[in-house]
Amino acid sequence: MSYRKAFIVSNALMLAAFVWAFAKDFYAPWRPYQAKYYQMAADVMEKQAAVEKDPTKASNLMAEARKMRHSPMEIKQIIAVDLGRFDRCVTCHVGMDEYTNTTLKNDFTENPYKAHPKVDTALIKAHPFSKFGCTSCHSGQGLATQVEPAHGWVKHWEKPMLKGVTIQGSCVKCHDNFETLKGAEVAAAGKKLFNRHGCQGCHAINGRGGVTSVDLGDIADKPFERISGYNFMRVRIDGKELANEHHDSHWNIQNWILAHLVNDPVEVTPNDPFAHLNSEPISPSGMPDFTKEISRAEADAIVAYLSGMTKEEVIPYRYHVAAAPVKEPALSAVAHGKFVYAKYGCQGCHGLDAKQGRRRFNGSSNAQKPYDEKMSETERYEQMNIGAEPTLPDLMGTYTHEELVKKIEAGVPASDATRWSLKGPMPMVYMPAWRGKISKQELDDLATWLLSIAKKDDSGF
Amino acid sequence: MPTLDLEKIKKEIIDSQLWRSVFRGGVWKDTPRDRAGHIIGNVWLHLHPVKLRPRALKWTYTWGMGGISFALYLLLTLTGVALMFYYRPTIGLAYRDIKDLEFAVTLGMFLRNAHRWAAQAMIIAVIAHMVRVFLTGAYKKPREFNWGIGVLLLTLTLFLSFTGYLLPWDQLAIWAVTVGTNMAGATPVLGNEGPLGALVGMRINNDVRFTLLGGTMVGENTLLRFYVMHCVAVPLLVGILLILHFWRIRKDSFSAAPYTATEEKVDVWPHLVKREYIAAAGTTLFIMIWSILQNAPLEAIANPNVTTNPSKAPWYFVGLQELLVYFDPWIAGVVMPGLIIVGLVAIPYIDTNPKGVGYYAWKERPFANTLFMLGVVMWFVLIYIGNSLRGPNYAWYWPWESWYMLKAAPAPTWSVFGPKGAGSYSMLIGIPLMGAVSAAWMLLPKLIQKELDGKKTMGAFLGLVAVFAAAGLAMGKMGAAEGGFLLFFLGASFYFGFVLPQRHIRALDWPRYLVTMILVISTMSVLLKMCARLAFNIKYVLTIPSISMNF
Repeated sequence: MSYRKAFIVSNALMLAAFVWAFAKDFYAPWRPYQAKYYQMAADVMEKQAAVEKDPTKASNLMAEARKMRHSPMEIKQIIAVDLGRFDRCVTCHVGMDEYTNTTLKNDFTENPYKAHPKVDTALIKAHPFSKFGCTSCHSGQGLATQVEPAHGWVKHWEKPMLKGVTIQGSCVKCHDNFETLKGAEVAAAGKKLFNRHGCQGCHAINGRGGVTSVDLGDIADKPFERISGYNFMRVRIDGKELANEHHDSHWNIQNWILAHLVNDPVEVTPNDPFAHLNSEPISPSGMPDFTKEISRAEADAIVAYLSGMTKEEVIPYRYHVAAAPVKEPALSAVAHGKFVYAKYGCQGCHGLDAKQGRRRFNGSSNAQKPYDEKMSETERYEQMNIGAEPTLPDLMGTYTHEELVKKIEAGVPASDATRWSLKGPMPMVYMPAWRGKISKQELDDLATWLLSIAKKDDSGF
Repeated sequence: MPTLDLEKIKKEIIDSQLWRSVFRGGVWKDTPRDRAGHIIGNVWLHLHPVKLRPRALKWTYTWGMGGISFALYLLLTLTGVALMFYYRPTIGLAYRDIKDLEFAVTLGMFLRNAHRWAAQAMIIAVIAHMVRVFLTGAYKKPREFNWGIGVLLLTLTLFLSFTGYLLPWDQLAIWAVTVGTNMAGATPVLGNEGPLGALVGMRINNDVRFTLLGGTMVGENTLLRFYVMHCVAVPLLVGILLILHFWRIRKDSFSAAPYTATEEKVDVWPHLVKREYIAAAGTTLFIMIWSILQNAPLEAIANPNVTTNPSKAPWYFVGLQELLVYFDPWIAGVVMPGLIIVGLVAIPYIDTNPKGVGYYAWKERPFANTLFMLGVVMWFVLIYIGNSLRGPNYAWYWPWESWYMLKAAPAPTWSVFGPKGAGSYSMLIGIPLMGAVSAAWMLLPKLIQKELDGKKTMGAFLGLVAVFAAAGLAMGKMGAAEGGFLLFFLGASFYFGFVLPQRHIRALDWPRYLVTMILVISTMSVLLKMCARLAFNIKYVLTIPSISMNF
């Protein structure tokens, strides 16, 4: 090819490439949605005009329809200044844009054309879109104008749109009174379940609760960088593996929390109990297996509740709604002791109503065989995996009231925890010191109740 | 109907007062005088000579890489200025502005992609240009100084790209820049973690890293500093050096050697100018299409509390990061790159071989070409390893292995000489021993007067290593892999570090010989240290902890 030809061809190609780039930019994915909405809305108005008897109203409607049909294509956004939201969702979801659809209502049933449901309810009236934006409640990537990035179904956007009842977690962000709030029933149920099964015994929320495991007060902000894909790949939800990539929206914090409730956590986080990869053996997840106790729907409720646990979002104080103070019930000492047991989440380890200690990896239990060096790894793993927390009624008989109070106040440090295998993995799950966390009166009543359920020693000693 | 006389119209336009006031010269007659006038009378073209050797027009000679680098620089300036209209360098706004560019600004994504990809392409083009200049001996007298300017321009190109890397303010950005700037903290004397640094009072808040970051960690000040350096300070400096570079090319004349003693030079206009245009247009087209098809990466917003795993430097520095596996940061991040830059600048002054100027001459310059290409290949192999074969915890992952598979932690390492090494006085033995070995290696090639037979010497050496490896194997101290590492790395170091210098540069005068050997041995030390680690888990050969100096 001569240089003259190359000159012409290269210039033509550069021009073509520029046109290509511009076209790709111009025909952005949001454009057809917005165009179709304008046409659909105009069609509706024209139909209304056709059946309208008043000629002035009819011509007004026709004029409006014409205006709608020729509305300019534009990126629309809601700027919620206080909450720092810049939400361009209404670029496609035009039916939810107050400026295009002033009534915020329409008859379309399909996304992204349909209007926001329940706009007449007190819930939506109290949360005008212009003040709250979209992502304050729904999450997702407000700045984006393409389908998958906008819904947060992409790699590197860690807060995808909340699905189903999980959205109730957003109520929890501002409403400290969510337990009595209409519309936040699932999140409220989630909190009840969280406390009923004793999660707070190990997982404090904003400092309230045990310190054995992480504080869940900001669990919704947990960066994916801290969750290994190795663990995510072990998650089974409804018997199915999560799809094997970050960016199809399945690897999100909601599924990570759910994974701990519908799987045995030891299988999700097996770590390295026999030091195959590290120089020291490392314990699998210390969390008990709740799969038999918590149903899938209950697990979803807990996930909804915890989805609201965020510190990342800066929410002004005036957006917060305080909760009424909770009253302690007036009960007899024994009944109050039982109440205290549940209130502080002792059942998280020692079982509901202290009936049966839960699984504690490499702990000791009556069902175990004695430690034997010659056991195979599989056998040793099995034995460690049936280790358990103490079943309290079996032990309480050996304590006096004062001893028991002291024991609860001091806890059991990891170094003192009984182990089935001394060469087993660390760290062991331990009992935190409850001194200062449980009041004196509560401790007394707790001890009273525990001693009341203690098995009597019948051996004659 | 009167016929349209195009020639007449053209003449009238060119002869009009308006045209003549803008463009010098009269009607174009395509005479040699016209062509020369075109170059001389145009401020943009007059940096070219009027005529040049035919060889300098050959794509196979120039690869067009100098011109392409400059075209990319112009492209980067254009797209960069356009991006500056949208970007605000504060940690509250930077990331959001990039998201706006991606999602709301007309052609914003295209501009950002073009800027990103052009920057990556420019690095490759500049390195390719340097390789071409080296292989054609174009740095030799009288062009030594311009080669030095070129090396500076290469360094500044890397620095420009590095400073730009931070601006999107995402996880990729801050952790890459953290890796990069932490190396500065390991500078000997000037860095708080470097050897002798503590001795002269360097702390985390007054050393060279602090100056670079404007703080003790990558933050608001760093973003502003990098922004100003990226958009103003460094481009200005590069512009000044580019003018110098081009002017010296013209003054020193193009390097291309004549094909025959009597050949005529050819006109730069149009022969060179049209080639330059096609190169620039092709480059632009390539960047445009790349930018349409592939988006620049953007990760989650920067979070100093969440370290990415693995955290990697920008790809062009990943080779140095890979060296961190084998060396302390002050060697991998400061001494090695320093030696590369100083060594490159020194090349024209230590290479006294008068042959091979202006043409490819493998046979006439075996030592220079082999060692230089070895360096280039090592640089890119290390980049490939660091970039593609390193996964979480910087463990080795083959391309077909999932990063979600856990890898065993590396075996515990040990040091040969030093307080925790073998024997209580091992530091006292280690320092003189290391010195003696280095000195012997340095001097022996020149002291052996007779030229050694390459094949026989190599054979003898490899035989010796093989016997040693076999002994280790027999004693159960070594596996087959370790033996392989020994043969490969020791063999390569011996060939490139001893046999080649002995055969080719022992006649060099002492100062030039010593400088060359320092550069050669430094390069070989990388291979030897890799061997020591891979085969024997040796962390340091010699460690002097009191001044944090470890080798």
